[in-house]
Amino acid sequence: MLWLYLHFPHLLLDHLRRSHESQGALVIVEGASHKVIQACPMAKEQGVRAGMRLKTALSLSPDLHIVRADEQQEARVLEDQARWLYRYAAYIVLVPPDGLLAEIGSLQKLYGGLPAVWQTVEQGLNERQLDAWIAIGHTPLATRLIARTGQGECTSDTGHTMRTLSQLSLFDAGFEDKTCIRLQRLGLNTLGEVFSLPPAELAKRLSPEVLARIQKIQGTRPDPQTPWQPPHRFRQQTDFVQEIEHSQGLLFPLQRMLLELEDDLCWRQQDTDSLLLTLQHRHQEPTRLRIRTSGPEHRAEAFLKLAQIRFEQHPLRAPATAVILSVKRFIGREAPNERDLLGDTRDLNEAWHTLISRLQARLGSDSLTQLSPQADHRPERAWSASDVVRSSRRTPASELAQLPRRPLWLLKGPKPLTETPATWFSGPERISGGWWDGQRVHRDYYIAQLHTGQLAWVFHDARDGWFVHGWFG
Amino acid sequence: MSNILNTLMQDDRVWQGRRHKQSTQPAEPTGYQVLDNQLGGIGWPRGALSECLLDAHGIGELHLLLPLMQRLSGNGRTVFLLNPPHTPYAPALAREGIDLDQVVIVHTDNDGDFLWTLENCLRSPVTGLVMAWPGKLMSRDIRRLQLAAEAGSNVCVLFRERRYADQNSPAALRLDLEPDQNQNLNINIVKRRGSWPGQHCSLTMTHRADLSFSEAPGVVQGPWPASGR
Repeated sequence: MLWLYLHFPHLLLDHLRRSHESQGALVIVEGASHKVIQACPMAKEQGVRAGMRLKTALSLSPDLHIVRADEQQEARVLEDQARWLYRYAAYIVLVPPDGLLAEIGSLQKLYGGLPAVWQTVEQGLNERQLDAWIAIGHTPLATRLIARTGQGECTSDTGHTMRTLSQLSLFDAGFEDKTCIRLQRLGLNTLGEVFSLPPAELAKRLSPEVLARIQKIQGTRPDPQTPWQPPHRFRQQTDFVQEIEHSQGLLFPLQRMLLELEDDLCWRQQDTDSLLLTLQHRHQEPTRLRIRTSGPEHRAEAFLKLAQIRFEQHPLRAPATAVILSVKRFIGREAPNERDLLGDTRDLNEAWHTLISRLQARLGSDSLTQLSPQADHRPERAWSASDVVRSSRRTPASELAQLPRRPLWLLKGPKPLTETPATWFSGPERISGGWWDGQRVHRDYYIAQLHTGQLAWVFHDARDGWFVHGWFG
Repeated sequence: MSNILNTLMQDDRVWQGRRHKQSTQPAEPTGYQVLDNQLGGIGWPRGALSECLLDAHGIGELHLLLPLMQRLSGNGRTVFLLNPPHTPYAPALAREGIDLDQVVIVHTDNDGDFLWTLENCLRSPVTGLVMAWPGKLMSRDIRRLQLAAEAGSNVCVLFRERRYADQNSPAALRLDLEPDQNQNLNINIVKRRGSWPGQHCSLTMTHRADLSFSEAPGVVQGPWPASGR
């Protein structure tokens, strides 16, 4: 097996810088010891180095942006990278906090050789503006050690790998401090010298664990790895160095996230119809915004327009420190309708979904309704309003002819009749029902014309008198 | 005729009404031949606003648009009803042969949303007909809507009160609707783009409730006098 290891020397820094177009120097600081652990190039220009104390760094560069390292966040960012790498390689192992391991022996044929694999990954990293040290090796541990020292080369030659390994110092080989000291006392300084010792002696003088580690590096002892499986959902978080106060400012980072979602959906060959945007605030509960489309959608542009409408409707309650985009519902992508050769219907379908989504985003999905008749004798229950869906079911014409004559306008509730109608036309039509659900109705309906010329559907209720229930519009 | 007048006529410097050509703007037949004749033989203008001015509901205003709704919904175009004053009654619409899947009812809370929604509907290619019941419209709002209507090619009918008849409006067609006691709808053309106003016609609207006037009213005389009204 051949392994590829990606070591991200300053993953968190890259992640933060990506969501930021212009900014000053930026450093990541370890929580407890107040030491700089990652510094951006601009900070380095001003003399800030990793390992420096925060006070020293601040005196070198007074307007330094400081971000505290957060393990959870780091793990999440690493998982984002795994999700991306999963497009290229199937067997991926997460090596927290800052590494990804991928089995590439089986991919050589697919990509046409090792250099092609290397190039593909490197190109992907460039596109994502990520800094990573790549290495190829025969065992997971050996690959990792080479990657961490930045000496990786694109070769599958075992001899070359072993030579690189044997020149590593004991510290770079990742031994514990105590083991390092003991080995140094034995007069050993490089990993190669340790390799040449007989295994039995090593186990006796040091510990079985050290031997196991050396054998894992050499590949004489199995080193099983648990492959990572991508979760079936999309979640991405962008953290802001400076809080964003206006919703317009959110659109730029959101656009990048939506583009990644579009990419992701393209890879899955899936669509979605609902996004959840969570805006985090410093002192308040996070704001949740659900953005729905009326039909399956995958284009970032369409989502962005809907988000824009939502932001216009709901200004930010408080400055946002982070925005999270998550998608849990995926819909398999449908093949375009085969019925139309020229694709006209499809365009109309798309236009319909765009229009309805826009209206729903601004007015709320309750504001749009579709009507349908219901099988009930009581007029107020003989219809129902439902959410808008695109469908093409048709009621057979024979059924329609059987419907009784009804007015086109139904009042929202019966209104008392205040005048004696001018002319009576037909009636009574007795409607009596509802004894089964407690909404008892017992009415005689007439069609009558009022003095204003309106044609009304009036009824006489056995108990309450005369009411208008509809207009023949 | 004097010499001067003759010269003027020959020079084509004076527009003459009798040379007026049939307007070529796209339109949808109303489904009522009498009304079509008054509207230059074409019907509802497409890509422009129309206004129906009426004071009371239930005088046949929906029936005026019913043939158009039937045709458009049958062709798969969407019909939007924006802020209708009452509930459009689904069983009655279905009975008239309207495809209810193509009918979308929209309710808006304020004028800003109303105009925005109407504009969006008008600009979309899926829309066939928009019927809207605006509250109060400023003249500049109507102009804005007129521009949106020109961007699309659908029929838009605004239902407004008759007191606005005197107010200036950029709509391409304005109809004044008035009922009479014999179930007729008297239509007065207040404005028609490219032609003269003032024509009027009368449509029989008895079919909306299956009434026919020659017959004696089919009411079973019963509860009315007895109930004391």
